[in-house]
Amino acid sequence: MSTRLRILLFVGVIIYLLILLSFLKRQKLNLKYSLLWIVSGIILLILALFPGVLIGAAALAGIEVASNALFVIAIGLIIIILMSLTSIVSMQNEKLKKLIQYNALLEKRIRELEDSR
Amino acid sequence: MLFSSHIFIIHGVLDRKILIIIPAYNEESNIEGVIRDIRNYFPEGDILVIDDCSKDGTVQLLKGMGVNYLSFINNLGIGAGVQAGYLYAYEKGYDIAVQFDGDGQHRAEYIERLVRPIEESKADYVIGSRFIENEGFQSSMMRRAGIRFLSLLIKLLCGLNIMDVTSGMRAVNKTLIQKFAHDYAQDYPEPEAIVSASVKGSRIIEVPVRMRERQGGKSSINIVRSVYYMLKVSLALILCAKKDK
Repeated sequence: MSTRLRILLFVGVIIYLLILLSFLKRQKLNLKYSLLWIVSGIILLILALFPGVLIGAAALAGIEVASNALFVIAIGLIIIILMSLTSIVSMQNEKLKKLIQYNALLEKRIRELEDSR
Repeated sequence: MLFSSHIFIIHGVLDRKILIIIPAYNEESNIEGVIRDIRNYFPEGDILVIDDCSKDGTVQLLKGMGVNYLSFINNLGIGAGVQAGYLYAYEKGYDIAVQFDGDGQHRAEYIERLVRPIEESKADYVIGSRFIENEGFQSSMMRRAGIRFLSLLIKLLCGLNIMDVTSGMRAVNKTLIQKFAHDYAQDYPEPEAIVSASVKGSRIIEVPVRMRERQGGKSSINIVRSVYYMLKVSLALILCAKKDK
């Protein structure tokens, strides 16, 4: 991995972590949902600081150019984060459904109470 | 002594509380006829319409007719509507719940047929089927082919012989009311409900009914939805059958 790419990666990851931190500080991101982002940032930071890790991983996976291994890792992290997002959306959908159903049951009770007065 | 226990049994049967669950979405042109039909042919059933956030005058019509109804503040899909009906049935302690479409396809004179096997404890889940006597409206070729495929899939997965697996005209007993109140697919739930009930060991039967073609409004089927439907339902069936084994 070229020094230029390492510096670029390092600066990029630092900016990324700073943005993440500011989101967390302003409570625009639940810590619960940000863990995956933090872990991803740390992995990329390690790769930028210790290029040996990336080169070793690339050799192990049979990838000729180390920078390609970087892409593979980044895409892998993105896929994991997207999957977790879909799972979060599904859970929220389930909760919303329940809320709307129980709201309808309650609305019926209130309507009947008001009509009987 | 013998006499009094006999009375008790008869009383028990007559006393069963039956709820008719009618999901409705933009059905102002059909719902009045549906309610009138049910009040005519099956007056012993309580009616509950679930309005899935209709944009037309469905709710006003229901108010005007003095019908029991639930009203969603967002559109959730037919499965969630039916499930809300089961939640209501469960909370109010109903013994039998009947699912009946709000679009006028189902005929109220057949509700009795659906309910009877449950009252006699011969079945837990009764499905009104167009394909036993093959009378009345039979749906299009394409749809029948899709239904046959799903029927075959259910046979392979659960060993059940159900022909009209997408029929929305059904009756369930108290155990299944409780189950469905807590677990029911949100969209296109009909075939999946059969498998999930079967996995739980329910006795499922089909009884012949006739249906009408849609009266008013328009059907929501197109090609993209049909493909999505088949894929989603097939996957759901396989997952559902494997879930509790």
